[in-house]
Amino acid sequence: MSESDDTAVSTTIIKLMRGVVYRDGQPEEWRTLERHGAPVSDHFRVVGVDVVVDDVEGYAYLRSRDDEEVDLPRLVNRRSLTFPVSLLLVLLRRRLAEFEATSSDTRLVLDRDQIVEMLTLFLPDSTNEARLVEQVDATIKKVHDLGFLKPMKAQQAQQSAPGRHGQQKAWEVRRVLKAYVDAQTLDDFDARLTTYRSSFASETTGDTGGTS
Amino acid sequence: MRHDDIAMRAEHDAAWRLLRARNAPLVLAFLGEMFVEENHGPVPATQVLGRLDDLLYALNTVREESDCYSGTPAGYLDAWCAPEAGWLRRFYPDGAEEVHYDATPPLEKAYAWVRSLGPRPFVGTESRLDSLVQLLRQMVHGSEVDPDVRLAELHRRRADIDREIAEVEAGNVSVLDDVALRERYHLFTSTARDLLSDFREVEENFRGLDRDARERIATWEAGKGELLERLVGDRSDIANSDQGRSFGAFYDFLLSGARQEELSDLLDRVQRLDGVVADPRMRTVHHEWSDAAERTQATVRQLSEQLRRFLDDQVWLENRRVLDLTRRIEGHALALRGARPDVGLEIDLPGVEIALPFDRPLYDVRPAAVVDSRIEMGDATDLDTTALFEQTYVDSARLAKIVRSVVPARGTARLDDVLELYPVQDGLAEIVGYLALADDDLSVDIATDTEERITIEFQDKDGRPRAVRLAPVTISRTEGSRTESAGRP
Repeated sequence: MSESDDTAVSTTIIKLMRGVVYRDGQPEEWRTLERHGAPVSDHFRVVGVDVVVDDVEGYAYLRSRDDEEVDLPRLVNRRSLTFPVSLLLVLLRRRLAEFEATSSDTRLVLDRDQIVEMLTLFLPDSTNEARLVEQVDATIKKVHDLGFLKPMKAQQAQQSAPGRHGQQKAWEVRRVLKAYVDAQTLDDFDARLTTYRSSFASETTGDTGGTS
Repeated sequence: MRHDDIAMRAEHDAAWRLLRARNAPLVLAFLGEMFVEENHGPVPATQVLGRLDDLLYALNTVREESDCYSGTPAGYLDAWCAPEAGWLRRFYPDGAEEVHYDATPPLEKAYAWVRSLGPRPFVGTESRLDSLVQLLRQMVHGSEVDPDVRLAELHRRRADIDREIAEVEAGNVSVLDDVALRERYHLFTSTARDLLSDFREVEENFRGLDRDARERIATWEAGKGELLERLVGDRSDIANSDQGRSFGAFYDFLLSGARQEELSDLLDRVQRLDGVVADPRMRTVHHEWSDAAERTQATVRQLSEQLRRFLDDQVWLENRRVLDLTRRIEGHALALRGARPDVGLEIDLPGVEIALPFDRPLYDVRPAAVVDSRIEMGDATDLDTTALFEQTYVDSARLAKIVRSVVPARGTARLDDVLELYPVQDGLAEIVGYLALADDDLSVDIATDTEERITIEFQDKDGRPRAVRLAPVTISRTEGSRTESAGRP
């Protein structure tokens, strides 16, 4: 491999370490993955990480290798998210699944207001509506930092209503969410919520062994 | 059609609704121009808004106050996209940052109908009968399986052609007369436009097929093999549907190199025929067909690709489990609404967190830079800043009048004499105003050759005495015409 190829491979490795690599967003790195996928994968295999390239969807990301033979410590971090962020991810995942089942468009874009509506259904009632909205905005920002929401150009059409302040942003739900919030993760979450709910019920009602 | 069906259609059909709308002329003019006449595909939002803005402005300047289109461009587009209207479609195409707009089949229908209301020069009959007979021939002879019958037909046709050849060789070249030509041209143009406007509907049909297929896939309870069988069997697979096959055949027909050349040549020659009032759009209509067909084909490709993806094993099973699980989780979340659970989703974080401690530089102690930005305060006690702010308006017409009243015709006077009679009211600016008088019958002369200086004393606005020292100024009045000079500040 030539020197420029080497640099390309290195850049791709670094970009993958930083986050998801998209065909649209990082075309150079994508090309490198197509042509020199092997050196990149080898590099990561050494540290127990797989490079998953989804050609169809157009994204590539890192995943921990679950190798039974070798027991390596995890490099790809696992994190437990807060409840509001988790809830938002679940709701977005559901919207994505429904969108795929009904629409022939490829990109799911939601208004910030739609997201607020979705989420406030599950938040505790509050007389301070502004605070609720702030909470939702903060949650959206965290999901954006994780890389699952992408801000779209501010919609001019929505600015037609006077008196509406706050970021009138639209957010694209990135399809890579499917790879990170999959059935397995949801299953775990569901199980944990079930236990929590039963213990919560038993606390509040004072019974033992509350049903979920 | 029965009465109730028609009533339903009047209520719900989008094209009919458009015709009933109060803003129909605006909608048809704007969207028709952009998407039908100019044959655009999806257009970015900024372009659409810009053009609509321009159009609204142009329209509103020539309309009465009560007739004006008072909405904002964005408001109109929103209304036209709404499900209650359905004349415009809004979406994010792949790879675009901006939302795009596209017209819908109901708009095409309504626009075509309104166009057809225009008076027709004449209603052609012979040409249409001719084409109908051709169609019948195609159907009958094309589906004939008996070779004898087909041979008989082919022989008959050959005999006809032979007869024509004989005629031409004998010198009788029969030509289509003007009327027949015009009739056929008209039929051609109207059919060509219909074809063009149908592409959107073709696309919409494809999208509809895709949605049906997805719905079926999503709700399928049995095994996947049967699902695939059913999809193909029902021809809901896009390529195998009636629409798909017809469009596929059209596309191949249109895009063959020989065909394109033939079309180009024929169109060119038709446009140049005498006796035909050529519609300039028709010259390149085959290109427009190609463009529209290409867009439709791109949509079909995209839909097929996505459907294939959707049918992929993993995706299919996964999606169903995901929906089940999300429903359950939402149930939990609703039940736990009052609480603040400390459980959360556990996910892999994208990327790998790398913290390189030695990449961070050690604390760099820098002496605080001493900045001496103190400016010595000036003595501001008797600083008169009003001069900065005030603008004195001196009416030079008034000054001219004063001069004329003091100075006799063809006479002269010194400025300080004039000012004795009419003291300075507006300060220094007035003096300058006198010096700058530019009326035809007045001339101001400043004596530059003497050392003599005159002093003019006056009071400024605050009542303080001021004095100006300048060379002697004489104002003389000539016999010239009076021109009023405009007031100068």
